[in-house]
Amino acid sequence: MAAHEILTATNAIVTLDVALPGTVWPWLVTVNMWAKSIGTGVIFMLFLLLRKHPEQAGSLRFSTTVVSLIFIHIFLLFTLADLHQPFRMWHIFFYPHVTSAITVGAWMATAFVGLLFLLAFLSFIKKDNAAFDKTLVWVTILAIPVTLYTAGLMAQCTARELWQMPTESAQMMLAALLAGSATMILLGGSKLNYEAKSTLGVVLGLSALFGFILYMAEYIFGPMKAEEVAAVLEYIKGDGPYTVMFWVGQWMTFLLPMLLIVLSRSVKSENLLKLAALLALAGLWIVKHVWLMIPQLLPMS
Amino acid sequence: MQLGFLVDLHLCMGCKGCEIACKVENEVPLSTWRLRVKYVDVGTFPETKRTFTPLRCNHCENAPCERICPVSALHYLENGIVNIDKERCIGCAGCVMACPYGAIYIDPQTHTADKCTYCAHRVASSMMPACVVACPVQANIFGDLDDATSNISKYIQANQGNVQVRKPEKGTNPHHYYVNGGNVTLNPLASHRVDGHQLFNKITTLPVGGHH
Repeated sequence: MAAHEILTATNAIVTLDVALPGTVWPWLVTVNMWAKSIGTGVIFMLFLLLRKHPEQAGSLRFSTTVVSLIFIHIFLLFTLADLHQPFRMWHIFFYPHVTSAITVGAWMATAFVGLLFLLAFLSFIKKDNAAFDKTLVWVTILAIPVTLYTAGLMAQCTARELWQMPTESAQMMLAALLAGSATMILLGGSKLNYEAKSTLGVVLGLSALFGFILYMAEYIFGPMKAEEVAAVLEYIKGDGPYTVMFWVGQWMTFLLPMLLIVLSRSVKSENLLKLAALLALAGLWIVKHVWLMIPQLLPMS
Repeated sequence: MQLGFLVDLHLCMGCKGCEIACKVENEVPLSTWRLRVKYVDVGTFPETKRTFTPLRCNHCENAPCERICPVSALHYLENGIVNIDKERCIGCAGCVMACPYGAIYIDPQTHTADKCTYCAHRVASSMMPACVVACPVQANIFGDLDDATSNISKYIQANQGNVQVRKPEKGTNPHHYYVNGGNVTLNPLASHRVDGHQLFNKITTLPVGGHH
């Protein structure tokens, strides 16, 4: 019998147990994921722009590198802040356990930061665009696993059935494309013309579309495969504690930006693109937070 | 050697002696538990009964906590125990998130992960875990699963078809078994957990390790 049938048949009620742990990974981890999406996403977008609109994007080499550095450091800072023993962070490098996505992620993020500083050096001190563009290829390639390792970490959380590697890795990549394109639309200012921003708008719109499709696929079809997923998704359905936040996030991150981008293309409005970008960036935090929180509400024992 | 645990739920009477013995032996801080006994009431009055389920680390063969730990603070001992090195732990709580049994907690005093170690320090001195010694009805059976003559192996043989593990679908291969268990006792989704009130308290959740 399925658990919900047992419940109906037995009316079983927990009458005495210890207090359950509260949220294990709090909002600090949400900031971690959100900032990393921006930090790697802008690198993806710089790579794209330098190929599609090189004359426009050339002036963005240094500023994009700085933005990436800032957000990767926010990501690292909040990762550190979430540790209960932050001063032992060095153990990851001196006692590494390579089966852990945390270890692999920490190494890759460190290498990524090193390469970002190299990009900053090449663009600001040496002013060598050719070397910058060659290095950017490797930074972009490394940005892919740096983006994805958090999905691996979530997948290693055997207790949280909702987080599956295939969907989480797709969500991480889409979040990076969405956040990267949104940030570049805002960062572009007068340096990018409407065509370049329109390209970014297409990336933003498509990322939003596929991100929304994935969440809705989980929302509708997830409960058909696993009881734990069904129980977790109850927290965002009906009167669930995260229902409102979930839908606010879906509208802000995916639906409204999609509508605004379609509208901006028909009236050629940069302001609408910027509004879409702002909504997507703010909404992404909400979407990530809901998905981080809800599996933690389920009693494990 | 592969050490394992078995609890006969028909024998357990919910006295919580094991819980207290564990607290004392391992100096487990207030608000945290390595071992606890869960009460689940079943049925509708007057046809009701109360079940008792001791819950502790399952010392899985394929332990998610060991796999996710970035610094090998959680590690296997040669006797199969999944042990923890609190000096090495960085407190990332990955193990807490990975354990499907909710068996790991963040110690509010050391700010590191902690859990049942099957009293590895006692086992190393050829003593039984504290909870086994404290149990007045010998509901806790501990021993070497690789030894066909051990009490635990004999118990499993004698109760074939009636031995369960928690969440077998997770693929963790627990070395902690239950006899006479069922969905209500072993599956957390098969019972209501009403917020706010239990028999002796009205606390349902606590901050993790005094953090956040």
